[in-house]
Amino acid sequence: MMMIDRRLVGEIDWVLLALILLQSLIGVVFIYSSTNFLPGAFYVRQLIWIGLGLLAMMFVLAIDYKFFVALSGYFYGLVVLLLVATLVFARLVAGTKSWITLGLMQIQPSELAKIVLILVFARLFAEYKSAYLKTAHTLGALAVAGVPLVLIIAQPDLGTAMTFVAIVGGAFVLAGLRKKAVILLLLAALGLGVGGWTIGLKDYQKKRVTTLINPAGDPRGSGYQVIQSKIAIGSGGLAGKGFGKGTQSQLRFLPARHTDFIFSVIGEETGFLGVLVVIVLYFALLARMFLSAAKARDRAGVYIIFTASLLIAFQFLVNILMIIGLFPVVGITLPFLSYGGSSLLTSYVACGLVLNVRMRRFANV
Amino acid sequence: MPENRIYEDLSLVQRRANIVFWIVSVLIALALGYYWKVQILEHKKYADLSEANRTRMRVLAAPRGLIRDRRGGILADNKASFKVSLIRENVKDEAASTAAIARLLGIDEATLRGRVALRKDLQAFEPIVIADGLEAQDVAPIESRRLELPELVVESEPQRFYPGGGLAAHVLGYLQEPPPEEIQARPERKVRPGELVGRTGIERQYDDVLRGRDGAAYEVVDSLGRVRGETARQFPIQGRDVVLTLDPVLQAEAERSLEGREGVVIALDAETGGILALASFPTYDPNRFITRFTQAEWSALMSDPLAPLENRAIRGLYAPGSIFKLVMAMAGLGFGYVTADTSVYCSGATEIYGAIRHCWFAPGHGAMNLTDAIRNSCNIYFYGLGRRMPIDTIAAAAGRLGLGRRTEVDLDGEKDGLVPSEKWKKDTLKAPWYPGETISVAIGQGPLQVTPMQVAALTARIAGRGRVVRPHLLRDDAAVASAPTAGGPAPSDGLPPFTSATYEAVIAGMWGSVNEGGTGAGARVESFDVCGKTGSTQTMSRESAERLARAGRPVKTHSWFSGFAPRVRPRIVVTVLVEFGGGGGATAAPVAGRIFDLFKKGLERP
Repeated sequence: MMMIDRRLVGEIDWVLLALILLQSLIGVVFIYSSTNFLPGAFYVRQLIWIGLGLLAMMFVLAIDYKFFVALSGYFYGLVVLLLVATLVFARLVAGTKSWITLGLMQIQPSELAKIVLILVFARLFAEYKSAYLKTAHTLGALAVAGVPLVLIIAQPDLGTAMTFVAIVGGAFVLAGLRKKAVILLLLAALGLGVGGWTIGLKDYQKKRVTTLINPAGDPRGSGYQVIQSKIAIGSGGLAGKGFGKGTQSQLRFLPARHTDFIFSVIGEETGFLGVLVVIVLYFALLARMFLSAAKARDRAGVYIIFTASLLIAFQFLVNILMIIGLFPVVGITLPFLSYGGSSLLTSYVACGLVLNVRMRRFANV
Repeated sequence: MPENRIYEDLSLVQRRANIVFWIVSVLIALALGYYWKVQILEHKKYADLSEANRTRMRVLAAPRGLIRDRRGGILADNKASFKVSLIRENVKDEAASTAAIARLLGIDEATLRGRVALRKDLQAFEPIVIADGLEAQDVAPIESRRLELPELVVESEPQRFYPGGGLAAHVLGYLQEPPPEEIQARPERKVRPGELVGRTGIERQYDDVLRGRDGAAYEVVDSLGRVRGETARQFPIQGRDVVLTLDPVLQAEAERSLEGREGVVIALDAETGGILALASFPTYDPNRFITRFTQAEWSALMSDPLAPLENRAIRGLYAPGSIFKLVMAMAGLGFGYVTADTSVYCSGATEIYGAIRHCWFAPGHGAMNLTDAIRNSCNIYFYGLGRRMPIDTIAAAAGRLGLGRRTEVDLDGEKDGLVPSEKWKKDTLKAPWYPGETISVAIGQGPLQVTPMQVAALTARIAGRGRVVRPHLLRDDAAVASAPTAGGPAPSDGLPPFTSATYEAVIAGMWGSVNEGGTGAGARVESFDVCGKTGSTQTMSRESAERLARAGRPVKTHSWFSGFAPRVRPRIVVTVLVEFGGGGGATAAPVAGRIFDLFKKGLERP
């Protein structure tokens, strides 16, 4: 089971893998463009992370996903423990307790939790064969997702929490929601939203939401990023200002330009044509992932492919809407393109799971 | 439907997955449409915004308050000047940029790199000052190349200007950029990097008064750092003026009289202690190094062996020489070792503790009382006093007259001087005091050290018949200390207070010194009743000085004169020290005489 035999290697979706690598390299190019005048060689570090991502992906591919699903309960317990430990012990990084140091390595347990959630849900719904979700099952799934979700909100890492909600919602849609359930969930979400707004959200987070409605209201504070980003993208025009010539990003008007706002740099320097190319390639990548669901050999596989694809798609959509001012700035990176090891590893492992399911579609249990 | 793992019917979930995917696809298409709108349809709007993008805060430096003399004349002014700053983030090609800027500013590349490196901890978008103190014609060529060199910013700033050049340089002090550690140590002062603050003199003493409150301009800056407009402006508030007690006429005369020599002239208002003139030579022109970059000029001044930057009036330590005979006379008479009529015979030499001691006047002064002894500055008389008074009694009298401690003049860095005592010698030299040393102290030699300011304050104290006068420079100094009773505050040394008869006897000697053919005759001013005392300070050991004198060789001595006028209700105190000036009567007294004369003429003018 541990070894990948020749037959299985032939079943790897090389097109998807190529698309992933292509996006990653586009990311490296624009990380270079936006940081080459800074010390630290960010693009080199990103290349190393891509290498590590590929290694992690190979490891995920080598083992039948059924095995991961079977062990998901343990993973779940472990990740909940890690999240608790993070809250308790992790040093404060930028006001949020989302990093934990293990020896030399800094890990972000909330990133790990995304993968674990995919596996746990695959297990929860693997044997669920009725056409629609029943109340008991819904509540059970909500409880399973709720524990890590609350811990992540407490960090507070709103972006990851939102991604969580998207995965849970996606899984419910897949399992089948009746109209009544949809309405109930929406009402519950609304209640939680209003309650959370009044007691849970920090001032800066509230500001980000109000800024979405009126970015000019706070041009030097949280609206600044959105305004600067939009100016960067808009001033790119059809063909852009040229590689390395984006005045907004080069002159640092644009904050976090190599992480959350990397797509603004692309928009500014390569214009709408560059945006079109990247989005079309991304669409191809997502299509390749989602449509692998048809090739899954079992229900667990479908869930894995679907939730993993949704994870990437959700972050992609939120990011490209966020940087152009259509979504609050919630700190969600652009998978594959943004600089950063944790998010890159998560994305590669998620894709590894998709490739894994597709590769083993003919495998006997 | 059979429950079969291999042939499980997944079509329902797969269909739902497809539906979600198509929703995602539609959203992506909509997002792409929005990008189209922003990038193509609204391109012009955003392109314009990108051109005039950022608001930046620019500090508008507050001009320092002016420093004026007592007649309102400006001693320290401000003038418009230009500074050039470098914004590192706008530099495209560092090597080419450095070369071009160095050529433009006329400095070499290493210097330029050094100036930038000095401030490397600043954010890349913050300007670093690389040249300052420029005139309009200097910056014209820089302005004309703004487009090629967007990293350069030319701004005007008020710059200190001393219209009198070196006039009263040691009083006014100078400005410098404080080292970064000092800025960090006192954050409450809000000194911004590149700001010049007072380092010495009045500029330092009243820095908090003179410094204004900086303003700010919020400017819209385009992506090349060009200013496109202003959104708000907060005007700077100039610092408050400081008015000094200095008299410009006396100050100018004091400096003229020291030209080409090393020395000090101090003139005090005898009633208030306000400093009318304070000259310390050699001096410097503070205009020459009002810049952040002071290499050559500054190091030359710092390493000059004549120490032109030092204010000798408060930091120069000298033996008081015969000036100290005033203290001896006060102590002898005041503490009852002699009476005003006690007579001593001077034959030109005397033997004390087995050694022959000479008077400065070889033929001898003959029989003398205290007043005559002061008038003639007779050594023999004071040797006799020194033999009878313990050193600690002398130290007590010196302490009462303000020696051995700072005068608390409002200038930074004043020195304490030194009045020896038995305890001092035991503490510092671990040796007992020898009576022979008292003999040297009696004529103002030995370990004694005074600053000219202390001598001026001592003279003012005698002129005021014991009234305590604190020398000061700020005209509206609320803390002009004065004790109206003769003898000043009740002495804490257990010895009787000085009576006014004691003061009058000493003053009579000082009057005679100037007006009855005494050593201070050079300071005489017709009908102004100048009273004074001369001093010549040996700068070598007494023995070698006497040997040289006997051999007819010139003895290099510092020359002192300190006195006041008129005798009744004194108005002015003048203290003169000329380093290596020879006899006090020959060199220092005439200088003081000219100051007295000018002051008297000033009083006669309506």
